[in-house]
Amino acid sequence: MKILTQVLITAIMATVMAFTATAVATGAVEPSPSKRITICLLPKKKGLPYFTTCSKGAQQAADELGDVELIYDGPTDGSPEKAASMVDRWALRGVDVIAVSPNDPEVLGQAMKKAREKGIRVITWDADAAPATREFMVNQATAREIGHALVDAMAKDLGSDQPEGKVAIITATLTAANQNEWIKYMKERLEKYPKLTLIATKPSNEDQRLAFQIAQDLMKAHPDLKGIFGISSVAFPGAAEAVKQAGNSGKVLVTGLATPNDMKAYVKDGTVKSVVLWNTVDLGYLTVHAAHALATGTLKPGQTSFTAGRLGERKIEGDQILLGQILVFTKDNIDQFDF
Amino acid sequence: MKLLSLARRWETVLAAVLAIVLGTAAWLDPAFMALSTQLELSTHAVELLIVALPMTFVILSGGIDLSVGSSLALAAVIFGLSYEAGAPVWAASVLGVLTGSLCGIVNGAFIAGARVHPLIVTLATLAAYRGLAEGISLGRPISGFPDRFLAIGEGSVGGVPYSLLIAVAAVLAFALTSTRTVFGRRVYAIGSNEIAARYAGVPIARMKLWLYGIAGTVAGLAGIIHVARRNTAKADVLPQVELDVITAVVLGGTSIFGGRGSVVGTVLGVLVIHEVREFVGWRWQRDELILVVVGSILIVSVLAHNLVARRAR
Repeated sequence: MKILTQVLITAIMATVMAFTATAVATGAVEPSPSKRITICLLPKKKGLPYFTTCSKGAQQAADELGDVELIYDGPTDGSPEKAASMVDRWALRGVDVIAVSPNDPEVLGQAMKKAREKGIRVITWDADAAPATREFMVNQATAREIGHALVDAMAKDLGSDQPEGKVAIITATLTAANQNEWIKYMKERLEKYPKLTLIATKPSNEDQRLAFQIAQDLMKAHPDLKGIFGISSVAFPGAAEAVKQAGNSGKVLVTGLATPNDMKAYVKDGTVKSVVLWNTVDLGYLTVHAAHALATGTLKPGQTSFTAGRLGERKIEGDQILLGQILVFTKDNIDQFDF
Repeated sequence: MKLLSLARRWETVLAAVLAIVLGTAAWLDPAFMALSTQLELSTHAVELLIVALPMTFVILSGGIDLSVGSSLALAAVIFGLSYEAGAPVWAASVLGVLTGSLCGIVNGAFIAGARVHPLIVTLATLAAYRGLAEGISLGRPISGFPDRFLAIGEGSVGGVPYSLLIAVAAVLAFALTSTRTVFGRRVYAIGSNEIAARYAGVPIARMKLWLYGIAGTVAGLAGIIHVARRNTAKADVLPQVELDVITAVVLGGTSIFGGRGSVVGTVLGVLVIHEVREFVGWRWQRDELILVVVGSILIVSVLAHNLVARRAR
C-alpha cells in the first residue's frame, strides 16, 4: 500500500513534468537540419517596450532573410548574471551569432570573450562592451548625435535662441556607459547655450518610482527649474509624471529618450514637447541583418558600408555599424508611430 | 521492508525527481547532457551550492540567515576595493572572506548574545550589509582582476572547473561534519529541542556564534568565487540569492523548524533547481518560463514531501 503511494507520487511528478514539457514544447525552437543561421538577440531586460519593439524589427529581418533562426531572450529582471548565463548556454549550444545589448559591459564582456573562444561570432547592439569582446557594434546613433539632439530639443522647447534657466538630468545609473557618453556630449552642446545651467545629474537606477521622486525633489529644491532631461526609457516617464502631478506642465519642460507610446499622453497634455529616439524597430532589423551578413561572410572588418534590406546602405565607422537617424517626436507626428 | 524505508526518505524522492529531470533532458536534447556541457554549466550553481551548505546547518539548528546574499556582496566589494587600492590579490581575497566572517559573527552576536530572533536580526543585516556595499562602492563596478585570480572562477583541470572542485570539497566537509562529529550532532540537538539541548550541556550561545560565523565566511568565499567567475565586483551581485539558497535547502527536505534534514538533501535540492533552470533556459530560451517551471516543481515536491512525511508518521 505504501509502496503504491510512492509509485503514485513519482508517477504524478513525472506526469506534471512531462505535461510542462509538452505544454512549452509547442513554442520550442527546433534545431534545424539545413544550413539555417541561428542568431541570438539578447536585450538588457526582456519585457521593456523599448526592447520588445526592437525584437519586432529583428523578427521582420529574420522572416525576410528566410534562413535565419532567431532566438530572442533576456533576463526578465535585467540581471547581468542571468544574461551572462544565457550567453554561456548559447555558446555551448554552438549557435552562429550572438548579439548582445550588455546591461553590464564587464560581466557580459567576460561571457562574450568565452563565447568567441568557442568560435561563436559576437556583436553588440544598443549598448557596447570592450572592443575585444565583439567584432562589430550596431549603434543606434553616435553619442554625439544623441547628446546634441537632446540639448537642442530642450532649447527649442524653451522657445528662444538663447534660452535661460536651470536644467537637470535624470540618468539611468551612474555607471551606465551609454548614458555617460550622452551626458558628456550634452555638456559639450550646453556650451552653445550659455544661459542654460546644468544644476544636477541624478541616477534613477532604472526605477520609475525613484525617477518620479527625484524629479519631485528637484522641483522642490529649485522652484525656478526650467527643464528636466530624462535620459532613459524609465527616467523620462517618471520625471514627466512628477511634473504633471505637481501641476507644473508647461512650466517645467521634460524631454528625453523613450518610446513614443510611453510618452504620448504627456506630449498631448503639454508636459513634454519633444521626445528624442531612434527607430527601435529599425535597430532590431539592422542588428539581425548585420549578424546575418557577418555569418555569411558578406560583412568583414574594414568595410565602410553594407546593405541591410529595406534600410538600404548603412554606414560603418570603424567597427560601428550606424543606424544613424534620430527621430524627434512632437505632438504633430507622434501619432504616426506605434511602438 | 528495506526498500520501503528507503522510499520513505525524502532524499530518495528528490533523487527520483532529479533522474526524471535529467532523463527528460537527455531525451529532448542529448547535447545538453554531454559531460563537457554539464561541467561548464555547473559553475553557474557553485555559489548557490556552497552557501546552501552552512544555511542547512543554520536551518537545522532552528534558525535562518537572510543576510547571506548581502554578506556575499559586501565581501565582493571589499575584495574589489582593496585590490584596487593596491593590495595583492590573495590578500584582498582573504580580506573579502574575513569580511564575510565578520558579517556572520555580528549576526551571531545579536542572535546568541542579545537573543533577538534570527529572522529579525538577519532581515536587518540583509538591508544593512547590502546598503554598506552600495555605500562604500557608490554602486560602481570594479573589474580588471589578474588572470591567475580569474582562473578560480573560470579555469579547469581536465575539464573540471576549479570552482566545482571547491564546491565538492565543501560538500564533503559539511556532510561529514553533520553526520560524524559532535558539532554536527549538537546542531541537530539544538534544532530538535533547544531547552533539552541546553540541559544536556550543549553550549548554545557558542554554537550559534559558530553557525552564523560559518555562514558568513562561506558567503564571503562565494563572493570571491563569483567575482572570479564574472570579473566584476559590484554591490548588486546576485540579487535575492538568499531566497534561492533557502528554497534549495527547504526543497532538500530540511525542516524550516529545525532538527530534521541533511546535507545530502540540500545538495540534491540545489541540483534539481540548477538542472531545471539550465535545461529550461537551454531548450526553450524563455527566461520567464524558468521561474514558472521551478515554481511548479517546488509546489509539487512540497506536496509530495507532506504526503511522504504523513505516511512515515
